[in-house]
Amino acid sequence: MASEKRDKEEEEVKTDDGSPKIKPRPIVQLGIFLVAHSPVFSVVFSAAGVLALLILPLLAKNTYISENALMPGSARSMLSNRDVSDGSKLVKDIKNYWLNHEGQGVEVQKLIGKYMSDMGAEVYYQKFHPEGNQFHPLHFFSGPDSYTLLDNVSCASYGVNVAGIIRAPRGDGKESIVLVTPYDFINGGDYEALSLGITSTLFSLLARVTWLSKDIIWLVTDSRYGDYRPVAAWLTEYHSPSFKVSDLLKCGELNTADTFRRAGTVAAALVLKVDGRSERFEDTLSIYAEASNGQMPNLDLINVVNYLAVHRQGFYVKVEKVVSLLSSSWLKIIGEIFEAVGKLARTLNPDWNFGIPAADYLEGSATLASSLYSQALGIPTGPHGAFRDYQVDAITLKISPRFPPDSKTRQHDFFLRGARLLEGTIRSVNNLLEKFHQSFFLYLLTSPSKFISVGVYMIAFALLVAPLPMVAASLYIEGCKALTKSTDNPTENLKSWKWLDAAKQVFALHLLGFIVTLLPYFICQVPGQHSPRNRSIMWGTTSSSLLLITFAIIPGCSPFSSRHHGTNWAVLKSVTISAAFIGLCLMSIINFATAEIGALLLVPTCLMAQPIKPALRSRRIKSLLGAFCSMVLLTIGFPVMFFAISKGLFGEAVVGLSLGGEFWTWLESLWAWKSATYLYIGMVHLPCWLLCLCILFHPS
Amino acid sequence: MKVLTLVMLLCYSFAFSSGDTTIHTNNWAVLVCTSRFWFNYRHMANTLSLYRTVKRLGIPDERIILMLADDMACNARNEYPAQVFNNENHKLNLYGDNVEVDYRGYEVTVENFLRVLTGRHENAVPRSKRLLSDEGSHILLYMTGHGGDEFLKFQDAEELQSHDLADAVKQMKEKRRFKELMIMVDTCQAATLFNQLQSPDVLAIGSSLKGENSYSHHLDSDVGVSVVDRFTYYTLAFFERLNIYDNASLNSLFRSYDPKLLMSTAYYRTDLYQPHLAEVPVTNFFGSVMETLHTDSVYKAFSSKTSNNKINSEMPLNQLSEHDELQKANIQNDELKTEKQKCPYTQMRVDLHKKLEKLENVDTVVNLGIAVMLLVVMVSSSLL
Repeated sequence: MASEKRDKEEEEVKTDDGSPKIKPRPIVQLGIFLVAHSPVFSVVFSAAGVLALLILPLLAKNTYISENALMPGSARSMLSNRDVSDGSKLVKDIKNYWLNHEGQGVEVQKLIGKYMSDMGAEVYYQKFHPEGNQFHPLHFFSGPDSYTLLDNVSCASYGVNVAGIIRAPRGDGKESIVLVTPYDFINGGDYEALSLGITSTLFSLLARVTWLSKDIIWLVTDSRYGDYRPVAAWLTEYHSPSFKVSDLLKCGELNTADTFRRAGTVAAALVLKVDGRSERFEDTLSIYAEASNGQMPNLDLINVVNYLAVHRQGFYVKVEKVVSLLSSSWLKIIGEIFEAVGKLARTLNPDWNFGIPAADYLEGSATLASSLYSQALGIPTGPHGAFRDYQVDAITLKISPRFPPDSKTRQHDFFLRGARLLEGTIRSVNNLLEKFHQSFFLYLLTSPSKFISVGVYMIAFALLVAPLPMVAASLYIEGCKALTKSTDNPTENLKSWKWLDAAKQVFALHLLGFIVTLLPYFICQVPGQHSPRNRSIMWGTTSSSLLLITFAIIPGCSPFSSRHHGTNWAVLKSVTISAAFIGLCLMSIINFATAEIGALLLVPTCLMAQPIKPALRSRRIKSLLGAFCSMVLLTIGFPVMFFAISKGLFGEAVVGLSLGGEFWTWLESLWAWKSATYLYIGMVHLPCWLLCLCILFHPS
Repeated sequence: MKVLTLVMLLCYSFAFSSGDTTIHTNNWAVLVCTSRFWFNYRHMANTLSLYRTVKRLGIPDERIILMLADDMACNARNEYPAQVFNNENHKLNLYGDNVEVDYRGYEVTVENFLRVLTGRHENAVPRSKRLLSDEGSHILLYMTGHGGDEFLKFQDAEELQSHDLADAVKQMKEKRRFKELMIMVDTCQAATLFNQLQSPDVLAIGSSLKGENSYSHHLDSDVGVSVVDRFTYYTLAFFERLNIYDNASLNSLFRSYDPKLLMSTAYYRTDLYQPHLAEVPVTNFFGSVMETLHTDSVYKAFSSKTSNNKINSEMPLNQLSEHDELQKANIQNDELKTEKQKCPYTQMRVDLHKKLEKLENVDTVVNLGIAVMLLVVMVSSSLL
């Protein structure tokens, strides 16, 4: 490298002889310097990127209410015992119904509907089809599905949602707030009924208050068909009314034609669930916020709920965390190191108090990991995800009471506190004049009251991908030199076209990746019932045969082709790295978490990839070690392998062919939820991985 | 006659050329709430409280320009529809029957505010929306909202800068739109708004110094918002103890602000204002307390020499003598004026009447008249 730099300088002096020497601009000098020392800098930057990711929990800031209008907790709760007794009565009636009747029918819906209308709400029922999401390659990013109503619908299975609307007495009717309580109307559990009790308590209050400025919609969804689907069906109907009368409406005893009612634009939505007993002394409130493709609701909504739950109602608030990380010893050691460094820094200067206790660090990183994982997966963590598709801020609140569901004495207090929490949140949202916009939309949570904003976490990613363009440039220069030396023919010395062969190969493999991404759609169209395992085998064989065909028809593409046709591996690597860089940067805009995790895998693989043959021939420890590393990284980098390893990390070991089935199911869920992660795996990760494989077996 | 009017005009202009000698004849108040939105409820409550106070102390509604940027009373979020309170005890509804809002909602803009102060209105603007003050007016200008360093936010959309305010005040002074002006501002960094003021006879008081915030006093947990700001709250507390006859001085008002209670430092700018604050009663600005002049006859304005002397008793002696002479001249002019000032139509009627009375044989006059009329008709018809 140093010699090359000297060469450059010599060149400059030569070209400039006679005329006064022009000194290149500092930024150009810096660029040349970085490219010249790219191996050192790539190691430094990658290490810094990983370190930055590790210290993110230290950089988390406390959340604060950014929007002035919200004013959470400034108003006194107006809930009375009468409201609570309304809620308790509904729960009692539902329980009595279950004692005397057996499933089927819409009696429970009608019972809830009667309660709603007694409180003064407009009530209606909505029927929907429980059809699942179908993979359609064209529907990625195309917005919410228009679940086309099939003409030949059967009345065999359909769900019925109940919704009640309270109109704001002096409001303008342009906005509304939605409360969702999923309930299984056929075999409803005791805990689920409690969520109905809380909401009913609240609804009873809201029906008589004078301060509403937005309409309130209480939606009880039929959770027989999952949590998500009923909400999505209701939202579709709410936002895009169909004027075709479906046969579904006439099914059963309940005729729901022409009864669907709407309120204004949905300002915010809260999904309430009650389940399981809290293992802590207090009632536990879990907040789920991740929607599809790592989209998050505005941080203010989480802040309001967290503030009211902690400071007013005394809930223990938590967000999801990766439990297995809590007991990991290496993370604990890192935490202790950071703690020690923090303490040391504090002794040097009392103003530097960035250190946090190791236990906090452990908690923070476990939460951060979960936050990253849920966002990267791109699958919503609850029914609130359906709202995000319509740009509505929504979260799911899961309350776990500390008492068994049949305890009458505790129930009153529980209803009161749960309903007060919701009342406070609704009153805050009710105060809003505009959509949520003040606080962050791009953030990662490290605890319910701590967050890392986009400006901070992007640093880790930027450091991680920074070596890619540097290494690409330096490899390109190197490769060009090698080619110039090997061929003396001046016509072939068109320097700027050296990369074209390599680019052809890279493009071919990316095209292959695109086709492989679309394959599952066609495999799904194959008639007959197939197990996920068979489907994954079909997919695997088709993909590998396609790969072989590509190698066969495009000369110079294959690593097994003769040396004469093969491109220079350095140029190939340079173009590969450029492609990976572009792919990662694009992905970081769509879904940061995917790009971050992808970069952690792809960047070392791309940087380490080098032909294995010369290394074996040279028999030097250093090159052998490099070859070994790149092989290990490539093995881990294979998507199926990575899936198996991450499963293993989470404590579910799967081996053999069942792994294929699992992998297929996982991918199926990805595309069913229209996760961009699926596209990333197919169109960025897989081609780059294949290219690295080509480099590994390059016959140079 | 012409000479006489000229003399009169000369006397008048001479009398008023020395501005300080003008008598305080009336009081005006311009009360401005500049912020919208429900969470700024307290700003409207502040302004309405001041409105109530100055009204109670005697400024009539037609001399109060009330500008409210939002209507909290009718906001859907208000738990007490059509009512506004400045205290959580809810004893006093500030938005009762007799509230005349002159500028409301989006009418409250920097442009309209400056138009009100400078008096440059379009023709269609009704008198009730104009500040029709004159050189004898004491004006109270009260503003509240969100402010910063040398600006005050209007409606979340515009800003009134300290330069704008100073310019408007200067124009007012040059147009003789006030005798004395008191500006009271309750915003964050209120003191900075007065930085550019230069015009004389302006007294300014702000709730906080540069770099300080003005805080709200308390939260009404039924309404769910803060209902009054600290500075205004303690101002009102001071005025609630007063009635129209009290003689409390501005000094006592200014001394009543305790920085600990205010959580900010109230700032007074007195360098432009000559009278000693301890001798100026607060009702000079916050009320409308006039000297009542007893007169013997109903229509003889300006004729009572004794009462005029009484008003001017505080003036220095040398000015007094000069003033006395002027007044004598004035009075004489007035008498002359009243003699001459009879309606010409009435005069003509009276003359006619007198002439008619002199006539003895009315019948002949009538007959003659008819004959003349006939003649005229004949001539005119033949001509046509």
